[in-house]
Amino acid sequence: MKAFLAKEGLIPLLEALSQQMEIIAPLATESCAVFSSWRGQIMDLQNNPLAPPTEFLLPHREILFRYVQESGRYTFKEEEIPPRLLFAIRPCDLHAIALLDKIFGSQPIDQAYFRRRRATALVVLNCTTWGRECFCASLGAGPEARDPCDLQLTDIGDGYLCQAETPAGILILKAASDLLQPAKLEHDQEKARLLQMARETMPRDGSCQQMRQAMKRADWEDLGRECLGCGGCSLVCPVCHCFNIIDSGIPDGERLRCRDSCLLSGFSRLAGGANPRRTSGQRLKHWYQDKFEDIPKITGLPGCVGCGRCHLVCPAPINRADLKVESREAKG
Amino acid sequence: MSEYIPMQAEILDIDIESPNTYLITLKLLEEGEEFRYLPGQFVMISVFGLGECPISIASSPTRRSLQLCIRRAGKVTNAIMDCLVGDIVGIRGPYGNGFPLDRMMRDVVIAGGGSGFATLRSLINYISDRREMFGKVSIAYGARTSQDLYFMQEYRSWQRAGMEVAVTVDIGDELWKGNVGLVTSLIDRFELNPGSAAICGPPVMINAVAGKLMERGFHLSDIYVSMERHMKCGVGKCEHCAIGPYHTCQDGPVFSYDRVREVI
Repeated sequence: MKAFLAKEGLIPLLEALSQQMEIIAPLATESCAVFSSWRGQIMDLQNNPLAPPTEFLLPHREILFRYVQESGRYTFKEEEIPPRLLFAIRPCDLHAIALLDKIFGSQPIDQAYFRRRRATALVVLNCTTWGRECFCASLGAGPEARDPCDLQLTDIGDGYLCQAETPAGILILKAASDLLQPAKLEHDQEKARLLQMARETMPRDGSCQQMRQAMKRADWEDLGRECLGCGGCSLVCPVCHCFNIIDSGIPDGERLRCRDSCLLSGFSRLAGGANPRRTSGQRLKHWYQDKFEDIPKITGLPGCVGCGRCHLVCPAPINRADLKVESREAKG
Repeated sequence: MSEYIPMQAEILDIDIESPNTYLITLKLLEEGEEFRYLPGQFVMISVFGLGECPISIASSPTRRSLQLCIRRAGKVTNAIMDCLVGDIVGIRGPYGNGFPLDRMMRDVVIAGGGSGFATLRSLINYISDRREMFGKVSIAYGARTSQDLYFMQEYRSWQRAGMEVAVTVDIGDELWKGNVGLVTSLIDRFELNPGSAAICGPPVMINAVAGKLMERGFHLSDIYVSMERHMKCGVGKCEHCAIGPYHTCQDGPVFSYDRVREVI
């Protein structure tokens, strides 16, 4: 189903939807855009938030189940997951969700992830402009959504071209059917023109092939000396999904899943103290290798979506250009 | 129901294998389903409130009881060792691939170092109970001191089942009358025809034993290594145990030596 929604129709549409479910949208704050619960606040639909929307599918801390002890035996209870809508996520992050679906959907299926995932509707906003670190076009992750979502929006100037792709997407549009106008051929043409322009002007380095070449020549131990080991890159990466499982509470309590990072020094440490990835350089190499070699082997897709968040957040700073020996020398 | 919700198991028995290692026998309390596993697989065991950790199964599926060998190493293993008979723990699994038994039904060398011997005991007892399906079996086991040797009361029964058993310690003492030295020195003494091998122990020991076996004509792909990696989920998602594109918890922990040689 295709329709045109004038810009002034957007807020009434969200208001109607918020009666049915929680809406997570990119909110404008004093410093940057942040995905958070929308209750009429001003949104930032220009910038993709630094913290990715995948944190609503794999939260920094979530309860896997509660355990309650009674005369020595335990009973377990899982949390209720209320329905939610992720609004105005970008094609790169949608692509990351498609990757997470593959990773968590491989046998044995991670039901804890899919309980949340199934309760979440996805509305994508295609990118007619791009941010300063974006390179999604090199990795086939943008600027246009190509992965399954419920509803796709494209800002074509005075309004949005809306394309519902699932029954859930059609229901989202029908929440405010009186605001919709029929989509016209010009709308499609304008969408195609704007996305083509974004695709052509975006930086083109950082493809899987280019990165693999650069990784072969990279001096990992040298890069490792610059890396502060803070794990920031992996916390803002929409594809990163390392986690830890911990308990909280005796005798009753919760088993929690908490996000973790393979860049932290203790991540792979064994019971006896041995550590297969002992140095910072080894961990940095593993991170890049996972994205550009291992995830492609497992899922058939690059494990990087070109959102550029890791570059924005790194305090060292290390970015993909630093992997290339030539450019490091040029940098002096 | 999520994969992360464990079954409950009662501790039926606790044996002391060494000053810092207990062998615990468990009884699953879930109704109905039989707990099926293979030698070389592992479980995630938890003490509620203190956490979960991976432990390889030390018993053989050919025998009735489910046994785990717990060495004092951290918060969770400490908590398990503080448990009493009758206490309840959580169990998830079994996870991992286990030893490829159908490809090992010929002469077998089994080499273990330290606590890595626990998973090999499952294989040894399996072979012992299915003796006619395997060829000549040679077992080499090394521990730090004679106090650290596990399963001492079982060596006789393995020998009676026609298996060669050789044991060594790194540091001898006045009570110890056996071998002092490396596991590789035991391998040197075996009369071997190239067959299959199962190794578990510290990386240095794995490489040394595999090297000796290769000198004796063993193929890299016939040497099976049980890898130790940190694991949190057991289902190939948390990435703690990733070795390149492999997840030790799902694709391993048993790998043929040619696949993991570079990363040991």
